[in-house]
Amino acid sequence: MLASAGVIGTIGRALLLVGFVGAVFGAFAAITGVRNNEPRVIRLVSRFAVLAFAAAVGAFVVMEYAMITRDFSLAYVQKVGSWSTPPLYNFAAVWSALEGSILMWVLILSGYTLAVCFWMRKRMNESLAAWAMAVMMIVLAFFFLVSFFPANPFAAGAPGVLDGPGPNPLLQNHILVMFHPPILYLGYVGVTVPFAFAIAALVTGRVGEGWLLATRRWSLFAWGFLTFGIALGSWWSYEVLGWSGVWAWDPVENASLLPWITGTAYIHSVLVQERRGMLRVWNISLLVATFSLTILGTFLTRSGVLNSVHAFSESGIGAWFLSFFAVVLIVSVFLIGWRGDKLRSPGIIDSPLSREAAFLANNVLFAVFAFIVLLGTVFPLIIEALQNRQIAVGAPFFDRLTVPIGIALLTLMSIAPVLPWRKASAETLQTRLFWPAWCGIAALVASLALGAYGLAPLLTFTLGGVSSGAALRQVVLATRRQGLRGLVGRANGGMIVHLGVIMIAVALGASNSYSKSQELSLVTGTPAFFAGHSFELIDVVEVRDDRSTSVKARVIVDRKKTYEPAITKYTRIGMNVGTPSVKASLTSDIYLTLEPPVRQDSGTARIKVFIKPMITWLWIGTGLMALGTVLAAFPGRRRRPTEATSALVPTSEQNAL
Amino acid sequence: MKQNKSVWLGMFLLVGLLLAIGVTRSGSVQTQQDRIDSITSHLACPTCSGESVFVSQASAAQAIRLEVARQVSTGTRTDDEIISYIEQRFGGQVLLVPRATGLDSLVWSLPVAALIMSLWFLIRTFSRSRQNKPTAPSAQDEKLVEQALAESMTKLKRS
Repeated sequence: MLASAGVIGTIGRALLLVGFVGAVFGAFAAITGVRNNEPRVIRLVSRFAVLAFAAAVGAFVVMEYAMITRDFSLAYVQKVGSWSTPPLYNFAAVWSALEGSILMWVLILSGYTLAVCFWMRKRMNESLAAWAMAVMMIVLAFFFLVSFFPANPFAAGAPGVLDGPGPNPLLQNHILVMFHPPILYLGYVGVTVPFAFAIAALVTGRVGEGWLLATRRWSLFAWGFLTFGIALGSWWSYEVLGWSGVWAWDPVENASLLPWITGTAYIHSVLVQERRGMLRVWNISLLVATFSLTILGTFLTRSGVLNSVHAFSESGIGAWFLSFFAVVLIVSVFLIGWRGDKLRSPGIIDSPLSREAAFLANNVLFAVFAFIVLLGTVFPLIIEALQNRQIAVGAPFFDRLTVPIGIALLTLMSIAPVLPWRKASAETLQTRLFWPAWCGIAALVASLALGAYGLAPLLTFTLGGVSSGAALRQVVLATRRQGLRGLVGRANGGMIVHLGVIMIAVALGASNSYSKSQELSLVTGTPAFFAGHSFELIDVVEVRDDRSTSVKARVIVDRKKTYEPAITKYTRIGMNVGTPSVKASLTSDIYLTLEPPVRQDSGTARIKVFIKPMITWLWIGTGLMALGTVLAAFPGRRRRPTEATSALVPTSEQNAL
Repeated sequence: MKQNKSVWLGMFLLVGLLLAIGVTRSGSVQTQQDRIDSITSHLACPTCSGESVFVSQASAAQAIRLEVARQVSTGTRTDDEIISYIEQRFGGQVLLVPRATGLDSLVWSLPVAALIMSLWFLIRTFSRSRQNKPTAPSAQDEKLVEQALAESMTKLKRS
């Protein structure tokens, strides 16, 4: 028994160690190579990146192998493995608890490191690229170390265990468990790349716009995956958790939202730096904040200090992440202070009616937004530390404070896209906002005609109209001028992202304000009615397999569609999981859950009906955001250097001519 | 121009009027279920980690849901009274929304302070930008520019 534990466990641990050594040597090679200007040493960096990546892939494969063969000699397999888990969920079980999710982090980060290394292969001699590689390698080494010591997935388990409970039931009843965590991690971990370049810019003193332009696509890539991952999480919550909501303001959700907020602020404010050279300190600070929030979020949710549905409630790892967070913050603040002189911006904002001023206002709002989410998330900790008293801060708090922020952001989204750089006159604004304003009025009239009421949703719909008008204006003008090329580039792609955001805002406004729900006691053969729909129970049936027993109520809604809400009891874990049944349409979803207690063949069932308007638009909006992000990543129209806004300085390209 | 202004004025009046209609008109009547849902989403499930009673499927949450439903159906207590009643029975940690008293009030006042500070920062930045009118370049500045231009032109020609 112990011998076999030895083999798999030892191989895995050895691979983690190899990866750690590779990352440390890689960082060392990058730094010494660039300091002593030795191309031969620098060339080693990419070999170490390959080594670290190979070790991470190897460790992940070994873990999958152990999980698939149900090698119960490993403590981790004992915790989340089970013979009864279906193959697909067993594959995903690797990232269903702390140790495995850190291993996935290692895998993805080593992939990013290798990718950046490949992308920078011809420029590795430049100090900026070498230092960026060094930062990535150091972060990677830290994660290898975390995976080797406090969160070791290859630790030997108690002897004699032949079967385990399997992953948390919520992680084995929807296919999204295969996609949501990896995609979210692609975004979460991806912010390391722009962070590494920001630190490298500070270290080397090349704090101009070069590193920004270089990492623009990486930032966009990470941001896109973060957005998509969060949206998939909401969809999962909606389809699986059975409370009909998409966002619970749970600490782990907040931990993924926080870097998204600062990241969104960054991809806006970076445009100001590219165009006007301003906000240098601010942009670097935003990247530092984004990266350190991923570390802080991991600390908060993975160390067991905060309660959450997602939390794996492990301790031991907390000190590691908190220390790393402190180091990141201290080093970054020191570097920013040290380079303070070089970071001073050359330009000033000429007028509050200008695009840069709008971006500044956008950033201030996003900063307050991030502050509110962070405060609400850690506030129970503060109270517990100061007064040794348990309190909770939940969804109603966040809803109340973030709705005004959302409406303010929509207002900015209405005006900012039509504002020119530097300065706008009132006349320009009036002409350019004329049609968007009518779009807003049309949206308001339409929503009133459909029976909408209440200030917050009506403002959301009106501003949604104006801001889609403003976004469409940009896209229409650009496509009229340049044909299909008018759809790509960051301004045009960005406006398509805006349209997606507006759809999501309107859908959230409608579904949060106008949802209806009712509990119904159904008896076979007697239809019940709610909100103009009929609900008729056919029967209650039981389905068994070797991991669970589920009771399903079959309900016919409006004499057409059959819904099958269920409650599944996972026998090994002794946990009941309700599975809602949802049928979506463009106008509103009907969402049914089965309420306990239920008895098979009793001919009765208690169900809860939710009527949720416009939920589908959340997913359509997400798709549009993803599309817009891809379009924004393509290069847009080249700006000619003779344009009035650009200085007449010969570029290297001109020199080459 | 004047005409344009009156069009905008009209638009704002129209929006104000329509919003006023929308805000004052009563929505659908609040049902008992709506009250139950709103009360339970303000309560934390005492046995589970961080979920509200509305969200949670734990048995403790179900028990509280039933109790809230019972109290709502008798109709004698207001929402706040029901929440206080549950709070008394289970302790302060069942409240999902911190009270605005004592140290807890910081969670409400700090965001407001942050908003005011950032607005003040914005206003200061913008007012400074107004004062900062571009001054006419000095003779020395112009000389520098000319020099730089001449240099770059020769470079361009050479290449």
